[in-house]
Amino acid sequence: MADLALHSVEKTFGALKVIKGIDLDIRNGEFIVFVGPSGCGKSTLLRMIAGLENVSGGTVEIGGKVMNNTPAPQRGIAMVFQSYALYPHMSVRENMSFGLELSKTPKAKIQERVDIAAGILQLEPYLDRSPRELSGGQRQRVAIGRAIVREPEVFLFDEPLSNLDAALRGQTRVEIARLHARLGTTMIYVTHDQVEAMTLADRIVVLNGGEVAQIGTPLELYRNPANAFVAGFIGGQQMNFLTPEQAARALPDTALPDGTETVGVRPEHLQQVTGGGIEGTIDVVEEFGEYALYHITLDGDALPSVTFKSSATGVGAMGDRIHLRADPQHIHAFDAGGLALSVPTRH
Amino acid sequence: MQKSGKSWVSPWLSGSVPVLIVAAIPALIFVGVLLYFTGWALMFSFTNLELYGRKATEWSFVGLDNYERLFTRRGFLESLWTTLNFTFFSAIIGQSILGFTLAAVLRNMYGGVRSVLEVSLMLGWLLPDIVAAFLWSATTSKTGLVNQLIVIPLGMEPVNFLNDYALPVVILANIWKGTAWSYLLYSAALDNVSKEVVEAAKVDGANAWQRTRRVILPIIKPHIGTNLLFITIWTFTYFPLIYALTGGGPGSKTEVLSIFLYKQSFGIGKLGYGSAISVAMLVIVGVMSLFYLRLLKEPE
Ligand SMILES: Nc1ncnc2c1ncn2[C@@H]1O[C@H](COP(=O)(O)OP(=O)(O)O)[C@@H](O)[C@H]1O
Ligand SMILES: [Mg+2]
Repeated sequence: MADLALHSVEKTFGALKVIKGIDLDIRNGEFIVFVGPSGCGKSTLLRMIAGLENVSGGTVEIGGKVMNNTPAPQRGIAMVFQSYALYPHMSVRENMSFGLELSKTPKAKIQERVDIAAGILQLEPYLDRSPRELSGGQRQRVAIGRAIVREPEVFLFDEPLSNLDAALRGQTRVEIARLHARLGTTMIYVTHDQVEAMTLADRIVVLNGGEVAQIGTPLELYRNPANAFVAGFIGGQQMNFLTPEQAARALPDTALPDGTETVGVRPEHLQQVTGGGIEGTIDVVEEFGEYALYHITLDGDALPSVTFKSSATGVGAMGDRIHLRADPQHIHAFDAGGLALSVPTRH
Repeated sequence: MQKSGKSWVSPWLSGSVPVLIVAAIPALIFVGVLLYFTGWALMFSFTNLELYGRKATEWSFVGLDNYERLFTRRGFLESLWTTLNFTFFSAIIGQSILGFTLAAVLRNMYGGVRSVLEVSLMLGWLLPDIVAAFLWSATTSKTGLVNQLIVIPLGMEPVNFLNDYALPVVILANIWKGTAWSYLLYSAALDNVSKEVVEAAKVDGANAWQRTRRVILPIIKPHIGTNLLFITIWTFTYFPLIYALTGGGPGSKTEVLSIFLYKQSFGIGKLGYGSAISVAMLVIVGVMSLFYLRLLKEPE
């Protein structure tokens, strides 16, 4: 059981600085998700924690000990890779016991741990099969099983679900959440998918270009994004960004803070009105059953399109005109640098 | 699976059977010629055909005499032993292990050193055998580079390597000449080993040796089988470099089967006996190939 701390961690590949000084304190037992667009350095950061990548600057501490130069197997971590990375020539059982065997764990003990992990992951019927004979979801479970038998202090996951189809992804997500509840071990989970981040994390670390954009609980990030990047990245649908002029029309009675350059409104926080507000034409309607998304081209040139989410009927069809207002309790104001300004009407 | 009349061609081609037939003609001719020559050798291995003289035209069948001779006369068994040594040390040990080691080491290196090594490997491979033989004999002669640079400065008598250590020199020359192939094949094989699998083994606590032996080698086992198959066949029947370098000598120290065969058939002119030697070589290579083909098969 271990806390994990990063102090000014940096990584450079040749002349390219990929991780630009990251500070992070992870409490024992936390489920932390690193989320961010592709190429922002999530995997690199995770691999530095794992000991698969040298640390160019700063320190990585696990359980209070600096681990910068400790080889991976001695860090008390286990890693689940995106491609599962199973040993193709070994059976499921051999895959799970390989690490224990290398560390000269007694045979009986290996057997016991593999059986327990197989039980947790419902892998008992497959123990003697080759990974080739398993489905993607089963392979992923073997990869997780291989991590469990190491009894690590920290689990590291690098986009473990991105090779699964949508239905299986949802299911496996829940299984991982269950696993965390059951084992109570610290987990660090990398994903580019904000849904996985929101649903799994105790705290999310949003990364952008090798820097921390914001750290917080899922709801903190959803309600109070610290900047336009986080606002745009977190949330079921991309946030709408309006100019101050558009915002003045969408929010007739609301004073915006000084220096507001853009105003963010989530699609679910727009409301249809019969007249006034911002006005435009519906381009595309995406019907999800429980709600629909309306993609609207606004009149005028600046930031011309917004998305409106509604579960009401009769909102309109493609080509219809529509008037919208924003809910003043749920708006976000950003200055020229994209930093969030506090909005008085927001509670 | 449904068995239709056309199931032997891929669906891509089944629509163009005339094209297929035209394309098959060269292949059929090729196979025909191969079978003709093999059949020819097989048939004459039972005769006393000679290259010159009376028996060049008035040959007759002599039953298994030629095959008996393989085991009763001096030459064949000694030559077979030399060939096995040559093949084992230059191909299986030398080229294969050196090629794998180079592939494993160089793939983690970039820039100058790697390029220089790759180019020199390829040079050895691309250089014509006769030129290579000349280089090696010049280098290992009594006044050659090795003596000038190493042996004499160390205060020792110069050594005529080609005379005193003929087989080792020939083996080394062939390692130098042939390692590029194994290097290329193993490089391609290692490209197919997922980086994440190797990293998983690292996290599991496997050191470099354990990663190689327990993870990488088993994964590329089919490639190893393919490579051993190729280089064994090539080396077992290899002729030009050895012949140009030593002519099979001194004595018969480097007289591998291909040289023995050449001397018996075209030197002495015993074509019937030569045919029997070539059939025996074919059988030996065939048996070795079967062994490798089993390696090639996917496990289970
Ligand atoms: N071994 C490497 N050598 C050079 N650049 C690398 C290497 N690994 C990653 N990078 C670069 O670092 C950046 C971050 O990569 P990565 O951590 O894999 O991003 P993410 O996982 O967030 O998609 C990318 O721009 C990538 O090109
Ligand atoms: Mg990644």
